[in-house]
Amino acid sequence: MSSSNTKFSAVTGSVRKIKDNAADWHNLMLKWEKLNNDGFQFATNIVNMRNSQRDQQPPDDSPPASACQTFPSAVQQQAAGAAELQDECSRLQAVVDRMVVIVAKMEHLMSVQQGIQDLEEFQFGPEGRTSPLCHSWKTKEFEESSRVLLAAFSQELKLKQVILRELAHTAVADLHMVYLSCWLHQPFIPAQTRLALEALLLETGHRLL
Amino acid sequence: MSLQGAVRRSFVALQDQRAAWRSVLEECDPLMESLGNLGQQMKALSRVRVSDTPLRAFPDLQERLQFQLLQAVDLLLQRLGDRMSRLQSIRDSVGGHVSAALQLYQDSADSLDVAVATQRSSVAPSLADMLEWLQDAERFYRRQFLQRKTLLLTLRRDDRAQLEGAANAWRSLDSPDAEQQITDNLCRLGFFLEAQ
Repeated sequence: MSSSNTKFSAVTGSVRKIKDNAADWHNLMLKWEKLNNDGFQFATNIVNMRNSQRDQQPPDDSPPASACQTFPSAVQQQAAGAAELQDECSRLQAVVDRMVVIVAKMEHLMSVQQGIQDLEEFQFGPEGRTSPLCHSWKTKEFEESSRVLLAAFSQELKLKQVILRELAHTAVADLHMVYLSCWLHQPFIPAQTRLALEALLLETGHRLL
Repeated sequence: MSLQGAVRRSFVALQDQRAAWRSVLEECDPLMESLGNLGQQMKALSRVRVSDTPLRAFPDLQERLQFQLLQAVDLLLQRLGDRMSRLQSIRDSVGGHVSAALQLYQDSADSLDVAVATQRSSVAPSLADMLEWLQDAERFYRRQFLQRKTLLLTLRRDDRAQLEGAANAWRSLDSPDAEQQITDNLCRLGFFLEAQ
């Protein structure tokens, strides 16, 4: 067994917690990605429905009585379209609700990390312990990493909540596309954020150096 | 190695490489579509005044999104670059076989009777025809590679209009007539290729 593995199998509560924390971050981010993809599908459907709603002409004269019995009226079609749109909005709402839960869990991870940091300061003073818990990071760096990740996802969630609120009420094609771009490309979670996670996983031994 | 043998080997290799070429091009299609899509997204972003929309709550949104879109373009261009490397290998392989066959022909040209070289039979086209077809095929792949590579090299990641039109420009490089010609020639070689 390599020396780094021995270090991790030692029953230091803090190391165990930090390692589990990192695994939890990884899992939460995977769940987020899946939700993001699902949400994008619903958001695209909403935009398409809005476009076809806009294209549907309102009836300028009422259809003859005999026709009403055989063809659905334009009004009935519009009502059906509105119900479909509502369904899709509900689905998107459900996705955002689950993302809220994920961010709440991330806040919890952040506070656990904060707790570990506070304990270390209590035990070792403001400089912290002399030898690193894992490979090379000072304990404070775990907290900073968590803070960066949490800030990114919190901000991204705020953006998604705005998109959820506005998407079905917009009629401008360019703005529709910008909303969809924002949802898909997640401007507040750039590649550096994923690198921060990778660094965390490397440090805690989840990824091999 | 007889000249006939070399020609036969070249055509067999050509058949394999054709399939490989088509498969790589098929992989490129969705990538080019995505490029166009990103171009459209960039255009939409440039036409929206974020401060006039509910997105005004995020003051740095425009730059961040632009950055993400450019990164996505870079990634696509990288993937297309990988495909171009594979197309280059195919071009080189076809070129190598054809050069070898032509070299063999040059070496034996003095002793080769023109009547023999231009003789067709019911089961094989003439040597002259076959050598010409090989050259046509080699030229086709050389040209196709050059055109496609040039198109990709001239794409600017921040030129929205160019990106939007990239997929159409790529498709316009298709040369179905020339492809059909190669197919027809290979059909005529059916018996010849089967013979040992």
